[in-house]
Amino acid sequence: MKILVPFKSVPDPSGTTVPGAAVSAPKSVINPFDEIAIEEALRIRERGEATEIVGVTIGGPATDEQIRFALAMGIDRAIRIDDSRALDPYAVARILRALVEKETPDVVIMGKQAVDDDSNQVGQMLAALLAWPQATFVSKIEFLDNKTRARCTRETDAGLEVIEINLPAIITTDLRLNEPRYVSLPGLMKARRKPIEILTCEQLGVTAQPLTTVLSTTPPPKRVAGTRVESVEELVAKLRQEAKVL
Amino acid sequence: MDFTWSNQQRELLDAVGRFAAQQLDYNVIENDRDGVFNQDAWKKCGNFGIQGLLVPTEYGGLGMDPLTTVACLERLGYACKDNGLLFSINAHMWTAVTPLVYHGSEAQKKKYVPGLCDGTLIGGNAMSEPNSGSDAFSLSTTAVKKSSKYILNGSKIFVTNGPVANLLVVFATVDKTRGPNGISAFIVEKGSPGMNVARKLEKMGLRTSPMAEVFFEDCEVPEENLLGKEGTGSSQFTWAMTWERGCILASAVGSMQRSLEKCIRYAKERRQFGQPISKFQLVASKIVDMKMRVESARHMLYYCAWLRGQGKSAYLEAAMTKLYISDCWVKCCEDAIQIHGGYGYMTDYEVERELRDAIGSRLYSGTSEIQRNLVASLLL
Repeated sequence: MKILVPFKSVPDPSGTTVPGAAVSAPKSVINPFDEIAIEEALRIRERGEATEIVGVTIGGPATDEQIRFALAMGIDRAIRIDDSRALDPYAVARILRALVEKETPDVVIMGKQAVDDDSNQVGQMLAALLAWPQATFVSKIEFLDNKTRARCTRETDAGLEVIEINLPAIITTDLRLNEPRYVSLPGLMKARRKPIEILTCEQLGVTAQPLTTVLSTTPPPKRVAGTRVESVEELVAKLRQEAKVL
Repeated sequence: MDFTWSNQQRELLDAVGRFAAQQLDYNVIENDRDGVFNQDAWKKCGNFGIQGLLVPTEYGGLGMDPLTTVACLERLGYACKDNGLLFSINAHMWTAVTPLVYHGSEAQKKKYVPGLCDGTLIGGNAMSEPNSGSDAFSLSTTAVKKSSKYILNGSKIFVTNGPVANLLVVFATVDKTRGPNGISAFIVEKGSPGMNVARKLEKMGLRTSPMAEVFFEDCEVPEENLLGKEGTGSSQFTWAMTWERGCILASAVGSMQRSLEKCIRYAKERRQFGQPISKFQLVASKIVDMKMRVESARHMLYYCAWLRGQGKSAYLEAAMTKLYISDCWVKCCEDAIQIHGGYGYMTDYEVERELRDAIGSRLYSGTSEIQRNLVASLLL
């Protein structure tokens, strides 16, 4: 079985800077949900159910750092689709469809959403474009019937839903699927020697013009420190007058 | 002069920071109180590659240069609050692993170094004795050769990692009349007949790093465990100490950075007299002092490591680095308590522990007074 794991580079959600760096650059990491997808693929391979894991990301040369991280985690090979444009989910899904047609994986596992724009659309769009079954928000994956089907547990608002889908299929991962392993320094050093295949949209024969334009991005307002109230009366008054929730 | 990290260095440093934040940011309060060494964290650090940072790849290490190595250790100190664990790792790296790599025979290196790198083996060093501390070369533990073995007799104190170590680099004299030229180094494995790891020593700080007193009573050490040649122990020790002094406080710089950030957060949140205490100049001034210490300490650390990487002895710089960073660390911890006021004195705020941990840095690897003597001897 061959697994394709698309992943996205996002600004580090932990927001940590590197202390002591004379020139500090904003740090990017693999989207945490995608990291869970990579981890799941590795576990499936470790159980002997997969033979190859291919990682793919879309971006400029700067994303090579995240690709090496994925290689260091243990994926077999990586592809970067060289495109630094600000893409929207539909454009990403169309590019990925072209790559899926080229790579012909048995299953695509990816994060349910990226933590930068929280779109939560690419997996579903990719499934629709390929006309493949999909299991989204998955917290457990089992393969059945000689790996022709997958039983997936989905986390929904109503509770856990178990569905069975035919392969090939798209699976998007939720937070509780697993806890990704940490990348070791020897792994990272070895990953530097693994080649990264670079492809362009032209080579894939896809023109994916974004349909949406981001007009502006602003950080959320800073949280202000809380205050201590002396009495229930004061609390209720503040909830009425300041928070306006009562 | 270029202060930027290369892409590869940045990638490694990021990975260390991330690893430490995810795997080593555990609660230390109980372990500190009970004096518990975190063996699991040690294993993780080994798997991750910390213990082998400086070790050539053919012996299971990463073959890093000294500058990248100290920067990695700094990141570790920034994210991991368990100063005791980091002290144990440092003692292991600078007084067991590095001496073995540089003075060990091919057979010794093949036998021990890979395990010391990947976290399966813990090393330590036994130099200090009840009556020889700063005057290290006046030691009285003896090693007498009998056929294919050395017989060791004597006692060692303040043996870092003693209670958990799989092997110790033990210094003993083969001929007391030869003074420093009689001192030799031996690799002594745990459980060697006649070796007795006695009581675990209770200490003020670094309580999660186990320390012991070790006795040797007709302890048999196979001759192939002599490290280097007979009589080269004192030069090996001086050599190892230069490494240790230059690098052992790398994690302290990270710890200072963490304290600084914690104090800044606290000073901006804590309100007295109707305003954040950061608005008071006496508090702000302490924060500035802390910042200056962190920055200057970091530059000393990097510069000394860079010199080592250039193949320079850096004997003077290593002594100054150790002297300076230890002083900065203690002063930063004192300021941190003062900024936190009464809360800083409380165990739960984890500020007082840092001070207890920091004070040892003025004592181990040569006291501050000894470092001053060294520096003075090179200047005057």
